[in-house]
Amino acid sequence: RQSIQQTYDLTRYLEHQLHSLAATYLSYLGPPFNEPDFDPPRLIGAEAVPSATVDFQEWHSLNDNARLAANYQAYSHLLCYLSTMDGKSPVAMPTLRHSLAHFRASLQGLLGSIAGIMASLGYQLPPTPTDGTPPLRSQFLRKMDDFWLLKELQTWLWRSAKDFNRLRKRVPPSAVMLHLESRGF
Amino acid sequence: DGYARSCGYITPESAVVSLESSFTAYCILSDYCLDYGNLRADKVIWRIQTKVVPKEHYSIINETVSRVTFNDTSILASPLTCNILVAGSIEQNIYGIQVALGFSPDKPENLSCIVHQLQTGRKKYSQTCTWEPGRYTFLDTNYTLKSRWPNEEFPDCLGANNSCTSTAVVFFVDLEVWVEAKNALGIVESDRIVFDPIKHVKPLPPSNLSLNSGELPRVLKLSWENLFHEAPLELRFQIRYKIIDSINWIQVPLEDTATQRDSFFIQDLRPNTKYVFQLRCVTSWGEHWSDWSKEVVGFTAED
Repeated sequence: RQSIQQTYDLTRYLEHQLHSLAATYLSYLGPPFNEPDFDPPRLIGAEAVPSATVDFQEWHSLNDNARLAANYQAYSHLLCYLSTMDGKSPVAMPTLRHSLAHFRASLQGLLGSIAGIMASLGYQLPPTPTDGTPPLRSQFLRKMDDFWLLKELQTWLWRSAKDFNRLRKRVPPSAVMLHLESRGF
Repeated sequence: DGYARSCGYITPESAVVSLESSFTAYCILSDYCLDYGNLRADKVIWRIQTKVVPKEHYSIINETVSRVTFNDTSILASPLTCNILVAGSIEQNIYGIQVALGFSPDKPENLSCIVHQLQTGRKKYSQTCTWEPGRYTFLDTNYTLKSRWPNEEFPDCLGANNSCTSTAVVFFVDLEVWVEAKNALGIVESDRIVFDPIKHVKPLPPSNLSLNSGELPRVLKLSWENLFHEAPLELRFQIRYKIIDSINWIQVPLEDTATQRDSFFIQDLRPNTKYVFQLRCVTSWGEHWSDWSKEVVGFTAED
């Protein structure tokens, strides 16, 4: 059974993976996206990627259920978005395509881990987005979406690491196991 | 056009027979054969290849059906034929079937998996699972490695030589793995194992080793390049060295090299002496040490 510690390590691992993946992807997108001081207005496509940025007090006041649900919904959205990323086009470097695929698989693993923890703590899974096809947008705006997706992903992973770090300290492993037994796992 | 045309058949049509159970076949004569040839089931002769099957194995069900039963199937072979005596003395073949003998598969045992870091190529890791199939089955037997997360099934991996390799490796997520063994006589699953692939990584050994003697005659600095980079994971090391041509390796205590590094000072060496060094590494979570690195040779300074 997936432990909270393992999920915490997964978010840290994904943070590091994303760091190199984002650098490669932004250089693939080319200027102005790969310029360090590029800070465009946030124009997101129809499926608004949930923003990871939240007021600290609000974040602090969330209970474990709300935190996990927010994480679960965010990564559900982000995974949908990630699968439309332009890395599939022929011009994309094979290595980049493979890194994207590996990252997506790991993120899918994170989603499953969060679901496992929520189930083990007796929480309901929140609704997740249906696989809608993204609206037709110009290539520049699609690149803008990709740019913002990477930014949001980095912030979400940074936030999730904090969430799971906090959770693993509050929930002793035994509590997780006991609950699982009672639910017949 | 010949007196006794083919006028019957055997059921089962072809058989895969277990060496651990009995086998029964029926030779069923057609009415045509009965009417025109006056050929009845009591005239049937069963053969295994060319050998006549002893009468005690036969039994007559009715005018048109002869049954043969083998409690010890090891005497069986292909073809098993049903023949009939025509006009009292001419033996005419009616029908024949192929018989394959073997065992149902044993439950695969000792399933284990290891994740190899790959030297080259875009894929960085490959996960190989191996198992013991148990007895030889003498039959075409398929071994399929199955794997899943709690909420996702992964594609089957068709085994070859009792192992299966996949490059879809995701760390920090528990993977459940088992083997399904299947042939014509049965299907059985191994026990399931659940593991985090990160704990089964066998990293590549450090490379580009170099030795630097500096001024101190009893000290050498060993440097190397680490090929495993998966933060937040770190590596631990094992260094060994010996005087050239000696057979006894000297081990640096593991606790001295238990943290991430790419060099180490070895002290208390003999001055002006030629030494050979090697090292290997393991991830901070892992159980599988890398292979030993290539050796590197160096001299300590004069005293």
